[in-house]
Amino acid sequence: MPIEVTMPKLSPTMETGVIAQWLVKVGDQVKEGDVLADIETDKATMPMKSFDDGVIAVLDRAAGDEVALGERVLVLAKKGEDPKKVAESFAGKSAGAAKAAVKPAAAASANGENGQQAPAAAVAVATAVGPGGRVKATPLARKIAAAEAVELARIPGSGPGGRVVRKDVEAYLKNKPAAAAAGASVSRPAASRATERIPHTRMRKTIAQRMLAAKQAAPEIHVTVDARVDRIVAAREELNKKLAKEGVKLSLGDFVTKAVATALRLHPALNASFEPDAIVRHGSVNLGIAVALDEGLIVPVLHDADTLGLREIRAKSDAIARAARAGTLSTEQLTGGTFTISNLGMYGTRQFDAILNLPEVAILAVGAAEKRPVVEGDQLVVGTVMTLTLTADHRAVDGATAALFLQTLKSMLEEPAAMLL
Amino acid sequence: MAVLTFREALNQAMAEEMERDKNVFLMGQEVAQYDGAYKVSQGLLKRFGPERVVDTPISEAGFAGIGVGAAMVGLRPIIEFMTFSFSLVAIDQIVNNAANMRYMSGGQFAVPIVFRGSSGMAGCLAATHSHRLEAWYSQIPGLTVVMPSTPSDAKGLLKSCIRTDDPVVFIEHEVLYHERGEVPEGEHLVPIGKADIKRPGNDVTLITYSRSLKATLAAAEALAADGIDAEVIDLRTIRPLDLDTLLESVVKTHRAVIVEEDWPYCGLGAGISDRITQRVFDELDAPIRRVAAKDAPIPYNKALEASMLPSADRIIAAVRDVLYL
Repeated sequence: MPIEVTMPKLSPTMETGVIAQWLVKVGDQVKEGDVLADIETDKATMPMKSFDDGVIAVLDRAAGDEVALGERVLVLAKKGEDPKKVAESFAGKSAGAAKAAVKPAAAASANGENGQQAPAAAVAVATAVGPGGRVKATPLARKIAAAEAVELARIPGSGPGGRVVRKDVEAYLKNKPAAAAAGASVSRPAASRATERIPHTRMRKTIAQRMLAAKQAAPEIHVTVDARVDRIVAAREELNKKLAKEGVKLSLGDFVTKAVATALRLHPALNASFEPDAIVRHGSVNLGIAVALDEGLIVPVLHDADTLGLREIRAKSDAIARAARAGTLSTEQLTGGTFTISNLGMYGTRQFDAILNLPEVAILAVGAAEKRPVVEGDQLVVGTVMTLTLTADHRAVDGATAALFLQTLKSMLEEPAAMLL
Repeated sequence: MAVLTFREALNQAMAEEMERDKNVFLMGQEVAQYDGAYKVSQGLLKRFGPERVVDTPISEAGFAGIGVGAAMVGLRPIIEFMTFSFSLVAIDQIVNNAANMRYMSGGQFAVPIVFRGSSGMAGCLAATHSHRLEAWYSQIPGLTVVMPSTPSDAKGLLKSCIRTDDPVVFIEHEVLYHERGEVPEGEHLVPIGKADIKRPGNDVTLITYSRSLKATLAAAEALAADGIDAEVIDLRTIRPLDLDTLLESVVKTHRAVIVEEDWPYCGLGAGISDRITQRVFDELDAPIRRVAAKDAPIPYNKALEASMLPSADRIIAAVRDVLYL
């Protein structure tokens, strides 16, 4: 029997994958473990390996195609089978047979036959744009949009899973700028740039979906502290001198990572996930480190960060950042996070608020360490200060809990020796 | 206007119709000597005599069949089931004979009969005595299915049903028998196939019938306190469905919640939802939601039974869902 190879699950959250490129062609002999194609998942580009030996008889899908999980992408003729005959026997029976139709978002099942409402948090939040590019909208919203000749895709949806409902269309129509009547008479700068339309990448879609989901699901609170980090600046200089011969150079961010991991051990309420029926306090401290890429953002995970020394933190942070930029993060490096750190200090940002990385209950936004006037006793002195803002999911974390965590974190950053306690 | 209980209103309807037409008679278990298991036929034996108020043995298939035969030769029987749960043993007579006789005889025989009695979850009656069979009977072409929720509608509809020339399944809810309400005296006829807007509103359409009307109205009042203006429609007749009234409301509110004491799968709400969607799909701003009994046998335990029912809280949750609140 020829082997029908289907789209594998290469990231824990993917529902479809895009064939970035085929690395085999019809007639190629492949062995178990050979890479068949590069698959762009919602997280990264991953190699799709063969589980069997054989000859490629049929390639169902072309590079660039988006394929649902479980849908057939190729047929492998096994030893003793004629690839041409296999191809003939599969002709016409294209992926259809093995096709697992792209599943409708789980949100559709919220309306149980029992009339019971699924707990809101259990409903997978889908993007407003369903598989196949169709915008989710109610029939009434569609009718109004059609009558007003508005593109549904331009209207932000406020319904479940980003569904566009009547009030969204009405709000859009109300705020729509008066038809560009003035346009013609306004003289434009001669060298205006052409308007670009950039189709969403998988990563952009995932970011949009997850950020929206977080804002919709979680009532967040923001708690900010300033930490005077002069002692860390000094410690870093000292340590870097010693580590220079190893070629290791610690960053201020590494100290923040260490302090956060240590503080989380003392404040398990922040190292947690919010689930519909319970708060799960995680046994391990796995820190997600947000990494900016040209095409978006990804959050690889530093596992068991609370057990790592500064040297290991530096080495592992380097490794995941490199893998993130190369698009070669492993599934392990992408999953299991229990708390996220987002650091924009290197851009000179003083303070910002991060959006939660659900289901984690908190995320820390780290600003630049900069020289600021500091009151010491009754004197004004110059100190190096860093502003940290914790975003917490108030469903799980109350203000005082968040503040106590930041108090611990601040004391560790101001008195690095406290981390040794 | 006189204030009567639901059972008194039904009694009045039967008495008035038996007075008006000597062909009308009542037959069933305990309807005569005992004045009715639920006292709906109180005093009728004394007033109309044993030829027109007839006690039967425990033999539903037998007396339902006698009723069908009597109707075929010109009488107008009212057949009382002590509860519609027991109509299950007579369902062949109701479906195969009563409902199909006019069609199978090429119009030679009409079957002007009313099958009536109590039904529903009425408190610790458990799985075999708590059936809600409205969806079953409403599927049958040839049957009219009526389920009033107020004493006034009970009287007016029962009188109309006794006068109609086709078989009617008239389902009363046991917990409604003691409900009181104003009932017009004398010739009070409520038309078959006409729903009633029990509470007008603009924001959401709540569709219900029989006993669930109470929970639905309670939910509507609670929602009003939050500024949500619900329209509550009492179907009254389940088949034929008054689709026009439903559509007019949904076109106004753009969303609907159907409340039913019956089970959810293949239930009445599924059929109603389908008809609304087929006709005014483009008017809907949310999926139609249903609040039904839970999908399990009806438990004996009182608290468990209560948990099966559509409650005001469940209705409110469904309304908030379709309003995206």
